[in-house]
Amino acid sequence: MQRTLKRPNFAAWRQQSFVFALILLVLAVAVNVQLQPNFFKPSILSGNLRTYLPLMILAAGQTIVVLAGGIDLSVGATVSLANVVAVQTLGQNPSAGQIGLALLAGLAAGLAAGALNGLCVAYGRLQPIVTTFATSFVIGGAALAIMPSPGGFVPESLSAPYRSNPLAIPMTLWVAAALLGLWALVRQTRYRRYLYAVGSNPLAAYVTGVPVALIRLSSYMLSGLLAACAGIALMLSNSTGDALIGTTMTLDSIVAVVLGGTRLSGGHGGIAGSLIGVFVVGFMRSIISFANVPSWWQTLANSLIILIALAGPGLWALIRRRNV
Amino acid sequence: MNITFSATHVIKRYGGVVALADGNLSVRSGEVLALMGANGSGKSTLSKIITGVVAPDAGQLLLDGQPIRFSSPQMARAHGIAAVYQELSLIPDLTVAENIWLAHEPTRLGRVDTRAITRRTTALLELFRGTIQPGLQPDTAVGDLPPDERQIVEILKTLAWEPRLIILDEATASLDTQQVNRLCELIADWKARDMAIVMVSHRMEEVFRLADRATVLRSGAYVGDVATAETSEAALVQMMIEGGVSPRQATTPNPGAIAVRAELDNIHTRTLHGVSLTINAGEILGLGGLGGQGQPDVLLALFGAIPYRGTISLDGAPVRFRHPHQAMQRRLAYVPGDRGREGLLANRSILENLQLPSWSRYGWFTRMRQAHADGEAVAKTLRLVRDSLRAPASSLSGGNAQKLVLGKWLLRDPNVLLLNDPTKGIDVGAKGEFYRLLTELRNQGVAIVLYSSDDDELLGLCDRVLVMRDGQISATLQGPTLTRTALVSASMSAAQAEVA
Amino acid sequence: MKRFTLNPVVIALLLAAGLFALGGVIRPGFANYTLALNILRLAAFLAIVAAGQTLVVISGGEGIDLSVGAVVTLGAILVFRIANGSNALLLPALALALLVGALIGAINGVGITLLRVPPLVMTLGMTGVVGGLILVITQGRLVGAPAPALNALVSRPLVFGIPGVVLLWLVLGGLMWVLLERTVYGKQLFAIGMNRTTARLSGVRVPLVVIATYALSSMLAALGGVVLLGYTQNVFLNLGAPYTLPSIAAVVVGGTLIAGGMGSYWGTMAGALVLTILTSLLTALTLPESARQIIYGLTLLALLAVYGRERGLRQ
Repeated sequence: MQRTLKRPNFAAWRQQSFVFALILLVLAVAVNVQLQPNFFKPSILSGNLRTYLPLMILAAGQTIVVLAGGIDLSVGATVSLANVVAVQTLGQNPSAGQIGLALLAGLAAGLAAGALNGLCVAYGRLQPIVTTFATSFVIGGAALAIMPSPGGFVPESLSAPYRSNPLAIPMTLWVAAALLGLWALVRQTRYRRYLYAVGSNPLAAYVTGVPVALIRLSSYMLSGLLAACAGIALMLSNSTGDALIGTTMTLDSIVAVVLGGTRLSGGHGGIAGSLIGVFVVGFMRSIISFANVPSWWQTLANSLIILIALAGPGLWALIRRRNV
Repeated sequence: MNITFSATHVIKRYGGVVALADGNLSVRSGEVLALMGANGSGKSTLSKIITGVVAPDAGQLLLDGQPIRFSSPQMARAHGIAAVYQELSLIPDLTVAENIWLAHEPTRLGRVDTRAITRRTTALLELFRGTIQPGLQPDTAVGDLPPDERQIVEILKTLAWEPRLIILDEATASLDTQQVNRLCELIADWKARDMAIVMVSHRMEEVFRLADRATVLRSGAYVGDVATAETSEAALVQMMIEGGVSPRQATTPNPGAIAVRAELDNIHTRTLHGVSLTINAGEILGLGGLGGQGQPDVLLALFGAIPYRGTISLDGAPVRFRHPHQAMQRRLAYVPGDRGREGLLANRSILENLQLPSWSRYGWFTRMRQAHADGEAVAKTLRLVRDSLRAPASSLSGGNAQKLVLGKWLLRDPNVLLLNDPTKGIDVGAKGEFYRLLTELRNQGVAIVLYSSDDDELLGLCDRVLVMRDGQISATLQGPTLTRTALVSASMSAAQAEVA
Repeated sequence: MKRFTLNPVVIALLLAAGLFALGGVIRPGFANYTLALNILRLAAFLAIVAAGQTLVVISGGEGIDLSVGAVVTLGAILVFRIANGSNALLLPALALALLVGALIGAINGVGITLLRVPPLVMTLGMTGVVGGLILVITQGRLVGAPAPALNALVSRPLVFGIPGVVLLWLVLGGLMWVLLERTVYGKQLFAIGMNRTTARLSGVRVPLVVIATYALSSMLAALGGVVLLGYTQNVFLNLGAPYTLPSIAAVVVGGTLIAGGMGSYWGTMAGALVLTILTSLLTALTLPESARQIIYGLTLLALLAVYGRERGLRQ
């Protein structure tokens, strides 16, 4: 029969959903090195990378929700909420205990926001896009209520490690490694399988005995928790609290997830791809600003590249469909 | 490990349709029971009741002598009863091993013991080694597998629950001969290890090879049990069709049935492997055989809804439709039986459903009054029972919904009507009316191609029946050869088909 | 016996009236004619932008258009520049804005159908591209002037003190009704939103309808931008951005099914009224921004819970 045709050799490669993003990353780095010879200079590289750190954590959380077949448009608001909650709890001149409390309070706020989303979507069976859009007002409003105007104080002792490069490796890469390490641990539990099963085919998962609603709820709670981590990272990097700081990050997180090869309808992809996606977005931006693109054309050039990158896999599939 | 299980006087109705009127079955450890019956005899319903997928309306289930009621498939599994589903329950994005152990992964300290899983999966795959591609490994993604290997994974997934009673519902339908042989060996082995096996199968050769006993159902009711050693293929077929059979509705041969309307020449699709046939005006051509032999693809290829290789000609000239829209222009019409998925706009009005293919006739500013009047006229011809044409299509009963799906094409005056198992799940009265409509259309000279999973329907309505098996036409039955025995045996065994 | 069911449009209208009355009770002077007219005017802008969004959501397939805000800005800027204060150039400028809008939407549609990019992602990516396009066109200098005729049409009272934009809105409402209920396009749009397989097997060319829908959405957003220009008399770079998400909210509050296939523009009109009144009321109550946002979000959630629930897995 024609079975031999059905399993090409690169099937294993195709499984690695982030291959496309990886190619883009290599390209972006190569072009960057051409344009800025000192691209790999530690101080410049770590400075560059540090700006991507909060988005990286956020994109990891978004990935989990998307894998389970949902989407979270409230992550930006959750970043802000955790950010202001942590800064407010910190107060002036905090003790070590207070610092711990502040971090916990920030994380708890993120968890609560995620639980709100998860309960509405998983148990209330509300449509994820509009639901998380609505909750983003509730969560963002709460953040504004806690801190109507930017402010607060973060002691140097707390923010210094954030800017450090332990063992000459930028903090961002440490965090990326930590995220991937945690994810690798999760991959070894049942949870990862349930997550993909629910996102890929909820009905089959349900029939097989997977607790579908619980998995959906937990995906939103994890996303909330990671958004809170991003909010705390922003607190450390900016040394202040701001109730609007996360607003623009939501859509960036979705772009990173999709660029990283995670399927928006769920069940396929992973966190590694999203992290690469974040770097791709960042490096592309730095290419545009270092190439001699006239300044008013930079945004257009940048967003066109992103759009083409987003549509890339579809274009590839279309060409293959035409050829068969 | 030992198990005895029985179901007595089990009844299940869906709306007005009785799917199972009196289901009886008993099986014990070390026994292979074949559950047999023609299409629509209720065997699938009975096996779903046994595994907790469907709740019975009445009747009793006894497990090891104790009455029991399953509220879910999980509960049945916990009692050691599991089925290989015909409708696949696999997650395409997970690997073979992950699918097989989903929701009962062996863990160590919270971590899934992947090594154990891989080992056990390899052991399970070993059962089919030699009949499957060497590339099929525990870490292959299920989405990349062809249907036969998916079916095998499905079987292994059930086996991994270590059931005491396993139900194989047409588990061999998509397997090739080698794989079927291997499964037969496995079943013999399970039997030796004191498992109880219920196999729902149409394939006579398998039944006689494996089963100790056969329970026969006919029109939802229990007919009897026979030991396979004491019966013959012909006798079993007789049990499945005897009595309860409506005599062939005498359709007057249509004298005008000579003009060839359409011709298919060597058509290949994903499920068709070289099908050639002619479709005549004023004739009802039946497509029969077991489910899943590629019958719908014949209709869909002709309607331009799926890609195909081969030649299709219409009224003598070759055509190649790439979209149903083009087929419609040439007065083809397709009536699906899966109304929910393919036939209806459930929450839209009856009128919108009727007029969906035809709106462009009513001008730039749709002449609603005219559209409504035309819709009323068709509804009248169809004797559609409805509140008003503005009511949503979902408010109609199954039979009326099916008339609606036919009605939308009647408005376009089709001359080739393609029907894909159109009376699935509708009650007897509605079926009768539907048959009347089809016969009228045929007498008006419409060419009708009818795929049906209901043998009575094919026998009662069709002028000619093509029996399909494995994506090819295995027998042509016409006139004196169009008998129930010929149809059933041509469907069930390749050898018999040639005799017929 | 026909069971009495509340039409979502009626629910939304009742809600709008209720909120307005509530405003009058809580804050005397809220429910007066002038303020009512102002609310209508503000609702008109939102509703014009949300017209295209309604079509997109009805088309199903997770249909959503996040690029409307950016296109609103682009439309306004194009007319601002090209008409440059001249009434004579207003119509050509408007035509160009609509054409550019339609083109952008068509690209969205092609990406969604042919390249199978999810609508959320495609229109999100397009938002960035349109934003970039605006920077290229303006080179950072927002030169131009509003055409006086546009201002007259939008802002001046025409009859009974009702501003032109409200009348324009009503005309659009009528046209949208015709489009949805009395054209082949409308019938096919509902069909593809309800069940794409059925639609295809009934001869509907699904990709064509989807592309047309996204083109119409962007075209209506561009129109919204032009009308908005008549009100603001000026353009700025994020003129349209605040309309993106409320346009989706207006569609949902108006009872259009998020899954597609059911809905109406009357509903969206009522939804825009509800949201505008709610915002005005919260402003009038001099609640802090935070409380306003929370109440706004909770209201959306509540409405979503009333008619936005999906089917469960258990039959």
